[in-house]
Amino acid sequence: MQTTGETLPQIKSGVQTLGRKANRLAATKFGGQIVNDYWSDLFRAKEDGRKVVWYNGTYIPPFFHAHDVAWVHGEAWSAYLAAKHGELPAQRAGEARGYDRELCSYARTHIGQALLGLRGDENGTADGAPPDERALTMAKLPPPDMFVNAYPYCSSGQQWDDIIYRLYGKRVPIYNISIPLLWGGKPDARYLHGQEWEERSDYVAMQLRGLAGFLEENTGRKYNWDRLSEVMFYIKKAAELRMEAMDLCTAKPAPASFFDWIVSIAHVNFLPGTQRLIDYFEMVKAEIKQRIADGEGAVPNEKYRLFFDGMMNWNKVGWLADKFAAVDATVVAGRYTHMSFWQEPQLIDIADPVRGMAQNYLICPNNHGAPIMIGEIEKVCDKFDIDGIVCHASRTCRGMTNQQFLITESAKRKGRQAMFFEGDVVDESFYKDELLNSRLEAMIEAMDARKRMVA
Amino acid sequence: MDVLDQILARFAEAAARPLDYAKQWKAAKGKPVVGLLPMHFPGEIAHSAGALPTILQEDDEPVAAGLGSIFSFYCGFNRSLCDQLVRGEFNDLDAVMCGDHCVQLLGTADAIRARAPQIPVLFNQLITSMSMPWAFDEARRTFVSLKEELERVLTRKITDDDLRASIRLFNKDRGLMRRLYELRRAGKISISARQLQQIVKSSMVMDKAEHIGLLEQLLADLDTKGSPSNAIRVYLSGHFCHAPKPEILDLIEECGAIVVDDDLFHGYRYIATDMDEAGDPLDALTKWYFAHNREVPCATLADKNADLDDFLLNAVNRSHAQGLIILLVKFCEPHMYVYPEIKEKFEKAGIPHLLVETEHDGIPLEALKTRLETFLEIARRRAAA
Repeated sequence: MQTTGETLPQIKSGVQTLGRKANRLAATKFGGQIVNDYWSDLFRAKEDGRKVVWYNGTYIPPFFHAHDVAWVHGEAWSAYLAAKHGELPAQRAGEARGYDRELCSYARTHIGQALLGLRGDENGTADGAPPDERALTMAKLPPPDMFVNAYPYCSSGQQWDDIIYRLYGKRVPIYNISIPLLWGGKPDARYLHGQEWEERSDYVAMQLRGLAGFLEENTGRKYNWDRLSEVMFYIKKAAELRMEAMDLCTAKPAPASFFDWIVSIAHVNFLPGTQRLIDYFEMVKAEIKQRIADGEGAVPNEKYRLFFDGMMNWNKVGWLADKFAAVDATVVAGRYTHMSFWQEPQLIDIADPVRGMAQNYLICPNNHGAPIMIGEIEKVCDKFDIDGIVCHASRTCRGMTNQQFLITESAKRKGRQAMFFEGDVVDESFYKDELLNSRLEAMIEAMDARKRMVA
Repeated sequence: MDVLDQILARFAEAAARPLDYAKQWKAAKGKPVVGLLPMHFPGEIAHSAGALPTILQEDDEPVAAGLGSIFSFYCGFNRSLCDQLVRGEFNDLDAVMCGDHCVQLLGTADAIRARAPQIPVLFNQLITSMSMPWAFDEARRTFVSLKEELERVLTRKITDDDLRASIRLFNKDRGLMRRLYELRRAGKISISARQLQQIVKSSMVMDKAEHIGLLEQLLADLDTKGSPSNAIRVYLSGHFCHAPKPEILDLIEECGAIVVDDDLFHGYRYIATDMDEAGDPLDALTKWYFAHNREVPCATLADKNADLDDFLLNAVNRSHAQGLIILLVKFCEPHMYVYPEIKEKFEKAGIPHLLVETEHDGIPLEALKTRLETFLEIARRRAAA
């Protein structure tokens, strides 16, 4: 059947119904402005005489901020391009060199960006084709003066930076921070507890202190530890506000959804620690409180509460938010949003923040062995009264898919529905909309049946 | 069947059914069996505790039930391990040791812990940032921790002398296999790639003393008549964790090539580097870990002083190979990252190279045959030019 192309057909059944959309937090508009300001500032870094660090992995920018160097998070850059649907030129450049599409798509996009940058290819095309408007953004990214790698869990993360280091002829200095997996095999191992936890905290803290020396060496300036404390004051306060606001979402209907927290990731992942961060999360929290008072939900007619496991599909944030809203399901929490990004701010001593920062890096959402990590997921699901778990089986992000079979089994043991859908972090070609539709529809049916049984 | 054939058959049998071998060994000796995950965990530690170390291998069964523990977009080795796990093939193991940094192996380690809770999984992650100032101390700490955990699980103290004795034995085995490699490289023996793979693979799973005894006999009896002179000399590279299917090795040779050297895990990579036999044995293990990566670089390790592409170019030239065949395991991220560098290096050097993507379930051999024949013809003409 052909459509006119002007309007899509309204399909009555289940997940394909259009019209019921997610009720996004208004505060996220201000949040978007802060993010845009960060990128604009970054694009000016060279003009301002600032050195630029390309880094990957965990949320270490406070170390850069305190030393007045600019920073680019490779994943964030890839996600930024994908969110603007501008990732393809970089991905094509990677493929043209022979990088297989089964490789981490964050890495492929970032490596492709490096290839284009090294060629001085301002229109983002490898073959002299007409300039791609979307790729013009890419030309703004300042080249690196230093690399820092600090990737918990995922081996791809370290190799990715090693490849970029090699692409730049090993001439740009690199600093590798190892953040080892907390396997949790010793008898005393528990969340934030035990010999392994203490030893690994010291180990990562030692490397972070060494990072200051690396920055000093490559800028010729002394590192200012007081400044780090100052930056961390803002980060810690913002993190506390974020966690408090998240906790308010135990309310029914949930006043904010996983997708609101997704668009607030940048703020706790790589934005500068300033008063604006605190302002933002105060706004978010205030709006959530108001919504609770008004009985207003993130989904207009909340019937089901879901947990999202896996990395975000950055090409599809709004799309997915509306898809779940269309079936009256609020995705209330997620592993990526609720179990990462300074989620234990109390560990940070502002006067001497390094060890607490190391500890927050160690507990990123996939850096625990399965038993402890799944135990933490269960706690989040219990807290938010979750009916079901949706696992995004992100094709090229195996760091986030590794334990998903065990996660779905734990969900079932707890009487929750669970489903997988296929997609990817920034390679849209792996996303299968029809599979998600049919599986989500089936899950909704099953949750309905269970609710009827309980009633 | 002559003695030589009998020895090769014994290697082939152990290589084909390593867990059966382990079961029989355990029943006969009354000692524990410790499974190791590749790529860099030295079996010497488990051996020094009186156990049989056996590197867990891909098997030939199609992956079915295992897909309830691992996604289809993981490499065939990890999928096969998960399948063997749920089929109960690992139930006779007394412990599993792992710690290499491949994200897919980390998932498999968790699957083993969840699906076979009776098997202690001794996980100690080895540092992969080889050039950082703390790398040596951290690697040593990992080996110390591993040794202590193994002592606890097997309830046996490992002395320095125990460890040194195991190191000596493993060195001897590696040295004998390297002798075979030297003879093959020099064209002094006629041994197929399949047979050499069986010899190295069996060394990963057999009792060391038995393997050494057989190997010494083999070397003494081996006919040094040389390899066919008209074959194209090729170098095999890749497969960092598991063995390429023997059918592929056979096909390469049937198409008119002779494999003269390799950097396969089930090949030179596994036997390249010895450990110090005299000093502190934990220092020896640690030094070996770093030296080994300089000897045969691994794509999973970030080392400013080791480049797989440079190593391969030198190795191909050293062995007088006329072409490089890269066996890339589908979904092997570490290899996929470095492949473009290798390709560019060999294109620049003008040396023919062929990429073959392999899968657990096999690949269409007829299509591969056509590609191999074309590649070998190119290599032949290039050599004649």
